[in-house]
Amino acid sequence: MTSTQPSSLLAALFEQIDDDQTLTVLETGPALQETVEFFSRYRCRLHVLNLFSELPIREEEGGPSLRDQFSGLLQFPEGTTFDICLFWDLFNFLDRDAILAFMAALRPHLRPGSLAHGFAVHNQNVPQDDRRYGISAADALSVRSRPGQLPGYAPHTQSKLKNLLYCFNFDRTVLLAGSRLEFLLRARA
Amino acid sequence: MIGPSIEIKGTVTGDEDLMIEGKVEGTIELGSHQVTVGQSGKVTADISAKIVNIDGEVSGDLMGGEKVVISKSGKVRGNIVAPRVTLEDGAIFKGSIDMDPGEAEPSKVPLTAQTSANTPPDELASDLDLKRG
Repeated sequence: MTSTQPSSLLAALFEQIDDDQTLTVLETGPALQETVEFFSRYRCRLHVLNLFSELPIREEEGGPSLRDQFSGLLQFPEGTTFDICLFWDLFNFLDRDAILAFMAALRPHLRPGSLAHGFAVHNQNVPQDDRRYGISAADALSVRSRPGQLPGYAPHTQSKLKNLLYCFNFDRTVLLAGSRLEFLLRARA
Repeated sequence: MIGPSIEIKGTVTGDEDLMIEGKVEGTIELGSHQVTVGQSGKVTADISAKIVNIDGEVSGDLMGGEKVVISKSGKVRGNIVAPRVTLEDGAIFKGSIDMDPGEAEPSKVPLTAQTSANTPPDELASDLDLKRG
């Protein structure tokens, strides 16, 4: 079942896009049709990582380091720089070290002012509620429940995320129902 | 049709539509026709056609002159270039999608939400800087 969730922060992602600009977007989750349709109005390259299909992402004894794992997962053509990153619920499923490794792999693909939109939690005790998101309009998201439960749920508070997401500054944050958090990030210079 | 027991390695070209239920490794070029990778099809190849339908598994780039459709049973790892791309709910896709609105029909997606929301966010505050969890 699909529901619609209005968003007061999402529109900021699209406010300063020139008609001539080729938009480069990173979707860290699975791409829904709504997102593809939405970005089809722009000249756009949408990169779909679906990191959720790789969970749990952790360092096993004798296995590759987290940094190597994320370097392998975040392989983009040379010169790829993202204008927009979509981090919907991602950091609820990555531990501290995994987030730091993810930031290290992403950093070369950001420019000062790159924007990111995402969801996290305000309270670490928020129960797991696995969802998929798509952009149904510039100010609204389509939300669908996931069929199964994702592994590795261990959400972080905003104060912890502020330190972990060191490539970004928190631009705006909105507290949502159920102690969930919507955030808009801007990449640091 | 390339049947379920058929395996092909090399370049597949032709002047008709193609259904693939078997295995193909290499390159598939049917510029003005339709290629369908059926549910049992496993393709490790770049596919170029007017319409590309994926119901099976593909590892490779998809170039659709008109459109690319990945159905709910489809799994694709690769890059898509097409004026119209459809990902059915349940489709598994990893890669990039290149889109250019100049090549497609006008978008029907609204710039703003036009219907009432089912799940209002109960926005409590904006520009919050929440220090505790």
